Amino acid sequence: MIAEARPRPVPESTAAAKGALSISDLDKSFTIGGVSRPVLEAIDLHVEPGEFVSIVGASGCGKSTLLRLIVGLDDEYSGEIRLDGERVATTSLDRGIVFQDHRLFPWMTLEQNIELALLNTDTPQARRAQIVADHIALVNLKGFEQAYPHQLSGGMAQRAAIARALVTEPKLLLLDEPLGALDALTRVHVQNELQRIWMTQRSTMIMVTHDVEEALYLGDRVVVMAPSPGRIRRIVDVDLPHPRDRGAPLLHKLKDEILAELTASPVEPGNLVRLPGREER
Amino acid sequence: MTAALSRRGARIAIGLVVPALFLSWWQWQATAGDARSLAFAPLHSIGSAFVELVESGSLFSDMVSTLSRSLTGLAIGGTLGIAIGVAMAVWRPLDRMLGPLLHAIRQVPLIGWLPLIGLWFGTGQGSELIVVSISAFFPTLLNSYAGVTNVEPRYLDVGRIYGFTPLQRFRLILLPAAMPLILTGLTQGLAFAWIASIATEILLGVGGGLGVTMQVAQTQQRLDVILVAIIATAILGFVINQLFLRLRRHLLRWQAAPL
Amino acid sequence: MASAALRVPPADAFRSSRSALSSILAPVALLALWQLACLSGLFPPQVLVPPSEVAHTLLELARSGELERHIGESMFRLAAGFTIGALAGLAFGATIALSRLAEAALSPFFLALWQVPVIAFVPMLVIFLGIDEPFKIAIVALAAFFPVALATFDGVRGVPKTWFDVARVYRTRLPDLIWRILVPATIPSVLTGLRVALTRAWVVLIAAELLAADSGIGQMMEMGRQLFRIDVVLAGVVVSGLIGFALDWGARAIERRAMRWRMA
Repeated sequence: MIAEARPRPVPESTAAAKGALSISDLDKSFTIGGVSRPVLEAIDLHVEPGEFVSIVGASGCGKSTLLRLIVGLDDEYSGEIRLDGERVATTSLDRGIVFQDHRLFPWMTLEQNIELALLNTDTPQARRAQIVADHIALVNLKGFEQAYPHQLSGGMAQRAAIARALVTEPKLLLLDEPLGALDALTRVHVQNELQRIWMTQRSTMIMVTHDVEEALYLGDRVVVMAPSPGRIRRIVDVDLPHPRDRGAPLLHKLKDEILAELTASPVEPGNLVRLPGREER
Repeated sequence: MTAALSRRGARIAIGLVVPALFLSWWQWQATAGDARSLAFAPLHSIGSAFVELVESGSLFSDMVSTLSRSLTGLAIGGTLGIAIGVAMAVWRPLDRMLGPLLHAIRQVPLIGWLPLIGLWFGTGQGSELIVVSISAFFPTLLNSYAGVTNVEPRYLDVGRIYGFTPLQRFRLILLPAAMPLILTGLTQGLAFAWIASIATEILLGVGGGLGVTMQVAQTQQRLDVILVAIIATAILGFVINQLFLRLRRHLLRWQAAPL
Repeated sequence: MASAALRVPPADAFRSSRSALSSILAPVALLALWQLACLSGLFPPQVLVPPSEVAHTLLELARSGELERHIGESMFRLAAGFTIGALAGLAFGATIALSRLAEAALSPFFLALWQVPVIAFVPMLVIFLGIDEPFKIAIVALAAFFPVALATFDGVRGVPKTWFDVARVYRTRLPDLIWRILVPATIPSVLTGLRVALTRAWVVLIAAELLAADSGIGQMMEMGRQLFRIDVVLAGVVVSGLIGFALDWGARAIERRAMRWRMA
């Protein structure tokens, strides 16, 4: 699979030009021991440019598989995944991803790790050092440029991974349980950082998490998924301005609702309910 | 007792007891005056043998001989081992072709090939170097192969995401990730090369070296010379190994804990 | 220096050699190639003889009973030396693992000796013991001693300290401590050490027989070399290789059996 170094120009007719994701009728199954097991079923999702969408669900609902399909690490699926109208078939610098394990190369310094993202772009060599430095500053890791990953704490390494993903200025940034490996205190800190970075950059972001609170705190919308096979149960609008207040009553209310749903009995497919949440004044 | 042992001075002192006892027993055997003491060499004669070997320069040249044979063999066998091991790991067809073959050859202990190699290439230094190279070949081959095949797929994923070409993938991911095991292979190869060097020197008795000196001394019943050579072997071997470990630690300084 | 050599990569290291078919195919192909090369007259008989001739020589040796004699002598020395060396290694390794005092007193000397390749002791042992059976058994014992001692040390040290505490609370007697706690816990490590030691011992034995012996597989090969009987040399290579392979395979099988036992 050869990745495209640069996105081809988008046709004029498409309404959104920077980072609109459109998933239609997506199905995915794995063949294990000769038996076909469905992992994702009838996924429909449209993400507007600059939106932050969270995806929550229990284990086994195919959240990570969905992200792998969107980023192009996996290309076997039926249905449509389109970024700005173009079908997703392979990896591309348009779409970045941050994994739960930071996946920085242990044998490279922080600086080298981030710079390698620019390796196959047509960014002029002279500008690369500056771009890297800017992004290191963006995630507040100034001073650690020469550190090896093993010298960084979990939170710092994850921030470095975020910097690496953003340095190519992707249209779409995917985050696969990025804070799952961090302790509770670090998690809150990096959540704040993530919100700040998103507000600065306004890239489209899709984040998978098992932490409902986190999903609601960061997301404009929260997609609730059901497992076996993975389906979208419902999509919750979180109509609150950024930066968010963790104590907002609406967040707590939605959290209770979603948690109740996630721990309830399975729902029929196609039962898509949109429940707008508006703050009551 | 345990508390006493934790003090460094105490540990060193205790550690010296057994060697001291051993040396005393040795000296007693050597000066007992009976038939057996003909075999033992009194301690002072070991000392004088040491002086003798140093003054004639033969100790130094022996050490250089053995060392250069080991390192040359390591260079040859190791380079081949790394190259083939990495190549086999990256190209499946090569693996299919060579794998079972190498696996079969490996079953025969190296020492078994020595008479054959002696017949083919004569009993000179060339044969010795061949055996030393072969002994360094297999550990480096196997470890390099394992190093590349065990590169974690998650790093390769990152390479795909950033559009790495096959060359970039090799240079930036496969090779560095495999480096710990490649270096392990070289360390093992060094150990095997060192042992093979001494062994071929003893068995073929040509080309200078600590083993040759030991073998010759044995025919002359000069136990004192043999002992000097054995001690020199131990010390030199230890020093080389330590240097190698230092080099390894420097090359792998990005690792969390020293390996 | 020998420490790094203790960890031997697994027998089925290559992906390709894991299928039974390819493991057999390649040696067979090699044999066929060899036979053809010799028949085509490419190599003079001093350099290489065809496998058919080697097989013929092997049969001859077997029929005359000579092969049996050589193998018997070698195996006897291996068995005697290995038993002595392994038992000594077990005792030594366990002792320095269990007693801090013993470790402090004995391990420096042990580690110093271990820096010397076993084969370097051959000239010295020849002076003391001559070139007869005692010498060969002694060198085999020495070769077996070090890996077993190290593996036993690792195994015993690896036993969680809490187990010993529990034993002390229940006032377990020493024999019980050894048989019921130590032995089962250390079996994997010890078995691996024994296997490595066996392979080492075999190699060292062949080397010793090459040097100085009047019988044995190694001596058979050396005699063949001196008489320029390359078929005899190759026959020796085949036999030593097969025996070495069989020993290793047998040891691994025992290891696997014991591990399975443990898991259950």
